[in-house]
Amino acid sequence: MSYPAHVSNVSYCYDGSFRGFLCCIYESYARRELPAAVQPPEEGQVSLFGCREIPTSADRARRVAAGLRRLGGGVQGCLTSGFLADEPGKDLTLLRFARVCFENGPATVQMLGRAEVAEALALARRVDNESSKYIEFLRFEQRGEMLGAIIHPRHRILPLLRGHFCSRLPDEDFMIFDATHRMALLRRDRQVHYLRMQRYDPAPDAEEEDWQALWKRFFHALTIEERRNEACQRTHAPRRYWRDMCEMQGQKSATQPPQDVI
Amino acid sequence: MDLAEKLEILADSAKYDVACTSSGVDRPGRRGQLGSCSAPGICHAFTPDGRCVSLLKVLYSNACSYDCSYCVNRRSNPRPRATFTPRELAELTIGFYRRNYIEGLFLSSAVLGSPDATMERMIEALRILRQEYRFNGYIHAKAIPGADPLLIERLGLLADRLSVNIELPSETSLNRLAPDKAKAAILRPMRQIARQSAASRRELAVYRHASAFAPAGQSTQMIIGATPESDLHILRLTESLYQKYALKRVFYSAYLPVVPDPRLHALTTPPPLLREHRLYQADWLLRYYDFSAAELLSDEQPNFDPYLDPKCNWALRHPEFFPVEVNAAPLAALLRVPGVGPKSARRIVAARRSQRLGMAELKRIGVVLKRAQYFITCSGRAPALRAPRQEVAAALVDPRAFGVGVQQLSLDDFRAVPLPDAAPQLQRLAAAGVDARTAARETRQEAIECLTRRM
Repeated sequence: MSYPAHVSNVSYCYDGSFRGFLCCIYESYARRELPAAVQPPEEGQVSLFGCREIPTSADRARRVAAGLRRLGGGVQGCLTSGFLADEPGKDLTLLRFARVCFENGPATVQMLGRAEVAEALALARRVDNESSKYIEFLRFEQRGEMLGAIIHPRHRILPLLRGHFCSRLPDEDFMIFDATHRMALLRRDRQVHYLRMQRYDPAPDAEEEDWQALWKRFFHALTIEERRNEACQRTHAPRRYWRDMCEMQGQKSATQPPQDVI
Repeated sequence: MDLAEKLEILADSAKYDVACTSSGVDRPGRRGQLGSCSAPGICHAFTPDGRCVSLLKVLYSNACSYDCSYCVNRRSNPRPRATFTPRELAELTIGFYRRNYIEGLFLSSAVLGSPDATMERMIEALRILRQEYRFNGYIHAKAIPGADPLLIERLGLLADRLSVNIELPSETSLNRLAPDKAKAAILRPMRQIARQSAASRRELAVYRHASAFAPAGQSTQMIIGATPESDLHILRLTESLYQKYALKRVFYSAYLPVVPDPRLHALTTPPPLLREHRLYQADWLLRYYDFSAAELLSDEQPNFDPYLDPKCNWALRHPEFFPVEVNAAPLAALLRVPGVGPKSARRIVAARRSQRLGMAELKRIGVVLKRAQYFITCSGRAPALRAPRQEVAAALVDPRAFGVGVQQLSLDDFRAVPLPDAAPQLQRLAAAGVDARTAARETRQEAIECLTRRM
């Protein structure tokens, strides 16, 4: 079905929640317009366009969510992953994608030749790729009864790590602290909570340091000097992940983490 | 000897084993157990040689009673020896696994006395890990050739993947360099694993709780460059292993001289990394692109071109197959276009259901057109039909063959050196004292001219 809309010069301001974003989609259909920008509160409010506050309404969000459910897992997955991105302009990209999806149905995720679709899928892929890198490179430390890890991701990937680590460590309590966005995923007694946290600075005890030393020794023993190829290493494990990997600390080319963060 | 020292010795002895994959089995976590498996596999770290660390790859022991001349752990090589106890190994695995350092355990061993005695100890270690420590992660175990079939069966019920190393690509080489191993003794366990693994898969299809025998299949590896076999010979062998024994992977290991031996290359010989890379490319063509060994190489051309990847090489020898029309060609034909991989090909097939594809759409889909543009048409229009041959050749040669990196000699002294996987010609020129960048430019120019003449 086709829903005509004119390109307007108003920008939508919403509260930054996923429900709020769904209300922006609702607004776009109700007014038959494509906004010039969609802004969550953390993006600066300086804009060339007139700003319209979009109130978050549970009822409207539910209606849009029901519509999205009919479009299938591919579309929903792209929207939810893409929404976790921490990039300016992601909201508008996703809103335009959602409009194309409502027009063309579940098969839209395969219409890669369309600019709106390709852009949104690339956005979701960037987030998914980062989360799978952190599934590989995140390092836990034993903190009393609990495992703890600190990561510095670009995007808000904690919800994407949840399923993997809950399945991998079924009987453990653990916490993953996202130092970029100051959020934490806490799993305790098989319950998962997302927390806002300012800081998490555990100091490793002697036993933990022994484990890390053991791991580093193993890691260094594995290198075959005659095949040394650091460019290849950086392709697979880009430098920005090194600060979260204990075996890469003290490597010659590792960028030192700034002291004030964490 | 403390645990750290043991770990270092036994990891150092195991590092020449190439396989380090945790793929092939999907198993969610269960309450009361530790760990899960994911089918694509997960790499947890990358060493400075660019290889991934996915599993805790160690030998159970490196005190070997065999004397294979290519191996670091040969009896006559003086080096520190160590052996784990099953508890140590289990605690190490669990400790590393909980901290997300590894995906599981890769357990191999030197031959401790006899193959049977070695296997019994390995099985005991895995049993403790699985049953007492309730470990549900990935285990790759190496079957020792010559061990009793019953022991291999017990090993397969504990491990996810089994492997038997074929070591060298032909029986004559095996007789010459590894007199304690026989081809038949290597192939027998391979056949047994293939048979039991298939049987267990059938049982699992009927009865969910049937016990799984090596659910991630088996793999093998061979050493490339220690003996005079051609690429064609190696590729044919690989193909038959895939067909006869349903192997999941065949790994190649560029021969690295680690022990002086008159029958082998001098210790200074660099490992043939580019050749290894070409063989892996061909291996991928066999597994994911539906090529056969006979298509890629022939008796007239038994070795791969160092400057051209195997798929480009095939494409240049088969001009009648091209151009391929992206809007109509079947998936199998798209897969044969140089520069188009399984992902791009599937995306093209999905995208063309809803619209006609031109160059702009292909770019948006994410197809890399550098090489592909010379082999395709979009709705009958060829994007680079009249490109001069020289330009086509320049786009097709593999930049990896001319890779130059920088070596830091002191604080402010840098020198250009060929990368370890650059073409042998470039390595020779650089060794003779030619500046690496100049040498790379000249070699590339030469390769392009040679290719232009061939087209």
